[in-house]
Amino acid sequence: MGERPENRVDRIVGGLLRGRRLKLRGGDAEEKEAIVMAARLAAARQGPQRMSPAFRQRLVKQLGASPQETWMTRRAALVAGLGVVAGAVGGGLLGRSLDGGGSQPSATAGKVVQPTNGRWIDVGALADFAPGQARMVRAGAVGAFVTRDGDSVSAVSSICSDLPCELWWDASQDALVCPCHNRTFTAQGSSNGMYKLRSLDVVQARVREGRVEVLGA
Amino acid sequence: MTSEARPPDPVPEAAAEGQVVELPAGSRVTDVAIDELEMIYAFIYSRVGNRADAEDLTQQVAMKAIPRLRQGAPASAVRGYLFATARSVLGGFWSTRLGLSESELHEDLAMAMPQGGYSEESVERVRRILEQLSDNYRRVLELRFLHGYSLKEVAVEMRSTVGAVKVMQLRALRAAAKVRLDG
Repeated sequence: MGERPENRVDRIVGGLLRGRRLKLRGGDAEEKEAIVMAARLAAARQGPQRMSPAFRQRLVKQLGASPQETWMTRRAALVAGLGVVAGAVGGGLLGRSLDGGGSQPSATAGKVVQPTNGRWIDVGALADFAPGQARMVRAGAVGAFVTRDGDSVSAVSSICSDLPCELWWDASQDALVCPCHNRTFTAQGSSNGMYKLRSLDVVQARVREGRVEVLGA
Repeated sequence: MTSEARPPDPVPEAAAEGQVVELPAGSRVTDVAIDELEMIYAFIYSRVGNRADAEDLTQQVAMKAIPRLRQGAPASAVRGYLFATARSVLGGFWSTRLGLSESELHEDLAMAMPQGGYSEESVERVRRILEQLSDNYRRVLELRFLHGYSLKEVAVEMRSTVGAVKVMQLRALRAAAKVRLDG
């Protein structure tokens, strides 16, 4: 009885920060705006969320959907036949961090795409690639955005690192945009925005006698 | 006391009118809906801030909305319908937990549908809200929520006391809730 408002709200905040359910008591409604805001802030800390595989499976089972139709399997299908090797940094599926604060961990790096039985595929003349502009190419089964920097090139996967959607290059933003959730990446594959996603996978590319080649399959 | 009187079962406007949303031909209703539910989950999570509640509410949305979906119409209509259901379910959630009638909840308190419907919008919105606050309020919320500091750690960081930080946290949350953003 007579719980002070700051204690009341801190009790709720403490639960939220521990990932617990919202448990509210009588009288908490007096601070409804603060509580709702606390929930939103707690959510923002985690960044955009996705269903856990277990929960998704549960839903699929309850609804009688086709179990194979999942984001992950579709994503897997997009990189079918490719061996994706962890690059410089490992880490979780969705390495997110805040930027701008200085003390936050950095986002996880992308992986290097290593196609099984990969081969270098010519994707065009270097002269056709405008400096600093990512251009979509296909090297067999591998889709990539190639960016020219002087006489060299770099390339990243054309598939978003978060959702299995094909990116597009928005020259007005100088960014690769994921149409599925409006996340953007630099031409080099780093995630933009407040919350970092894993960087785009790196696709191997090189210049040979004035021609751009991408390691495809 | 918490809410003894449960709010009426929330029904989205479309459902209330007996409307049936159709799905693209050739897709299994549940398969399409499951994919769309990823976004619904992210939306709900961004409003309730914890996984357990987000899962329960997403499940409620699925159970209410999916039986009403049918083959044939644009996916955007399906998404809109699911979001309408999600808003309704969220309204029920908050009114139950806070013991308030849904009419007492502000439209933008917890239920406003994000433009485009993505949780990303929520993250961006939080960032913009924090920008509107005074330095002290912004700092206490950033340390506590975004960096996960304990009250004691915040107090050390801000050269204050735990009691003062607790009060500041409450005032900062109230101030953040009052911020109105354009668009």
